[in-house]
Amino acid sequence: MDEIVGLAPSGSLGSGYNVDAFNRALTANPDFIGQDAGSTDMGPTHLGDGVLFFPESSYRHDLSLMLNAAREREIPLLVGSCITAGTRGQLDLAVTMVKELAKESGHSFKMAVIDAELDKEYLKNRLADGAFQSLGPEGELTPADIDRSSHIVAQMGVEPFVRALEAGADVVIAGRACDDVIFAALPVMKGFDKGLSLHMGKILECAGLSASPIDLQEPLIGRIRDDHFVVEPGNGDLRCTTVSVASHSLYERTDPCIQPGPGGVNDLSVSVFEQFDERSVKVSGSRFVPDSVYKVKLEGAEIIGYRAIVMSGIRDSIMISQIDDILEEARERVRQRFNTADEGDYHLDFHVYGKNAVMRSLEPETDHVPLEIGLLIDVVAKTQDMANAVAMHARGTLGHTSYPGIITTAGNLAFPFSPFNVPVGPACRFSLYHLMAIDDPCECFPMEMITVG
Amino acid sequence: MGSRLAKITELAKVIRSKNAGPFEITFDIMFDDAGIYEKVKNSGVITSKLIAGLYNISHNEVLVCRPYDPAQAFKITIRRPTGSGDLMESDVYGCQQHVPLTSIEIPWQE
Repeated sequence: MDEIVGLAPSGSLGSGYNVDAFNRALTANPDFIGQDAGSTDMGPTHLGDGVLFFPESSYRHDLSLMLNAAREREIPLLVGSCITAGTRGQLDLAVTMVKELAKESGHSFKMAVIDAELDKEYLKNRLADGAFQSLGPEGELTPADIDRSSHIVAQMGVEPFVRALEAGADVVIAGRACDDVIFAALPVMKGFDKGLSLHMGKILECAGLSASPIDLQEPLIGRIRDDHFVVEPGNGDLRCTTVSVASHSLYERTDPCIQPGPGGVNDLSVSVFEQFDERSVKVSGSRFVPDSVYKVKLEGAEIIGYRAIVMSGIRDSIMISQIDDILEEARERVRQRFNTADEGDYHLDFHVYGKNAVMRSLEPETDHVPLEIGLLIDVVAKTQDMANAVAMHARGTLGHTSYPGIITTAGNLAFPFSPFNVPVGPACRFSLYHLMAIDDPCECFPMEMITVG
Repeated sequence: MGSRLAKITELAKVIRSKNAGPFEITFDIMFDDAGIYEKVKNSGVITSKLIAGLYNISHNEVLVCRPYDPAQAFKITIRRPTGSGDLMESDVYGCQQHVPLTSIEIPWQE
C-alpha cells in the first residue's frame, strides 16, 4: 500500500459540517473516516457531571452522515472521545445512537466499543504503587481525591484502536482518546511511520481549523505516504498553507517541538512544511520517540457545589467610580446574612465586565473607568437552594445599597430578563490531570465487539 | 537607516491564546514573512522575563518561551491562574488572554 487517505469530517462531532464539502472530500476515496468527539477544553462539567456539550440531536445528525458514508464505501469509521468527555455513560449513549441509526438505514457491521473510564479501586491500587505524576493539580493526590471524583478517564493511545481494527471492526466507538490517535491508528496498523501518522492525526483532528480561512466545520483530507503526508481541505474554496498547517501543529500544545502523548513524544523540532500545490501542504520529518515506560494521561473531575448566577448592568457613573468598594461592602453584607454557614459552604464571585472580568489577575490595565459595567453575580454553594439564596441576597443588597454621592434611589442594577436568578446546576473542577504508568497500552481500555444489524 | 520601535501587531500575522490542557495557557505569535520572523527572533526581545512582566506573574510560571522555526512562530506557555472552569474562572477556553502580548515592541531598522 503506497498511501492511506484519511477523512476528518469536522473538528468536533456535533458542530455540524459542510455536507457539500464532505461529499467532495469523499471523492478522494478515503480509506477511513475519523472523528474526534470530545475534549477537556469546554471545562470540567462534562466530565464531572456527565452533561453533553451539544444537544443529542446534533450528535445524531453528524453521526448519521458519516456512518452512512462509511458503510456505503465499506471503510472504517473511527470516533474517539465519545461524547464530550469520554465517560462510560457518554460512550453508552453513542453506542445506542449508532445502533439506532444503523437500524434506520439498514446497515449491518461489526462495532468495537472501547471503554476509557477507570475503576476507582484499580486507580487507588495504582496510586499506592506510585504510578502517578501530576500535570497540573497541586498537592499530593490521595485516595480521597479519587473517591470524590465523579468520573476518571484515561486518554487511550493508538494501540486500542489498532486492536479493534485488527479484530475486524468496521466501526470503532471509543471513550476518551488522545485526539491524534483516532487518525493514526489505520496508518500505524499498516506500517506507516508513527511520528508522521500522529502528526497527520494532530492536523486532521480539528479538520478545517488547519485550513485558510479557518473553519472548524470544514472537512480535511490527509494522505500519508512513506516519508511524508499531505493535507488538503475538502472544500475547493479553501486551502492549506504552510503557515496554516504549521500553526495548527502548535495549537493547544505546551511546547512546539516535544509533544507528549500515550507511550512517547512526537518530536516536531525538525518537521518540514512545504506547499505541495495551491491547496495542499506536505509535511515530513516528524519523529515519534517512545518512552521507556508507557504512560497514559488521566482526567478526573468532581462536583464542588451548585451554581446560581444573576446577570445585571450598571450605567451610573457615580456608582461605577466606586464599584470595588461597593462590591466589597456587598460581600460583607452577604457574609453577615449567611453567618451560620461554614467557611467553604458558598463562594461568591463578581465578574465585572467592562473592567477586568476577562483577564482578572492577568489584566495589565487596572485604572480604566468603563462607561457601563456588566455585573455577573456568580455563586457556587453546597446546595442549589443555598446558591440561589446567596445570589439573590447579593443581588438585593447591590440593587438597593447606598454609596457616597448617590443620586438614584430607585435601584442600582439593570436586569436584562426575568427571573433574575438562574440556577445553573452542578459546578465542577478538574480533580485529576495526571500521568499514570501502565504495563500494557490496552490495559485500561477494555473492548467489546458487537454485531450490529 | 533610521531605527525605531516596531509594534508586534505590525509584524505578526497571528497573536493568540488558548488552553493547553486545563492547567496551562499557551500563546502563539506567528509570522507570515520569514525575514520579519528572523529579525524578531534575533532581536532577543521575547523572553520568559518579558512575559512574566507583561502578565505580572513569577518567572517560574512561564513554562515555555521559545521560537519555533518550522512554523515561523514564538511559542509561550504559562501556568493557568486557576484550573479551567474552577472557582474564579474567567475564560474557560483561555482564548482572550493574548492582549498584553500586543504591547511588545521590537527595535527595528528598515
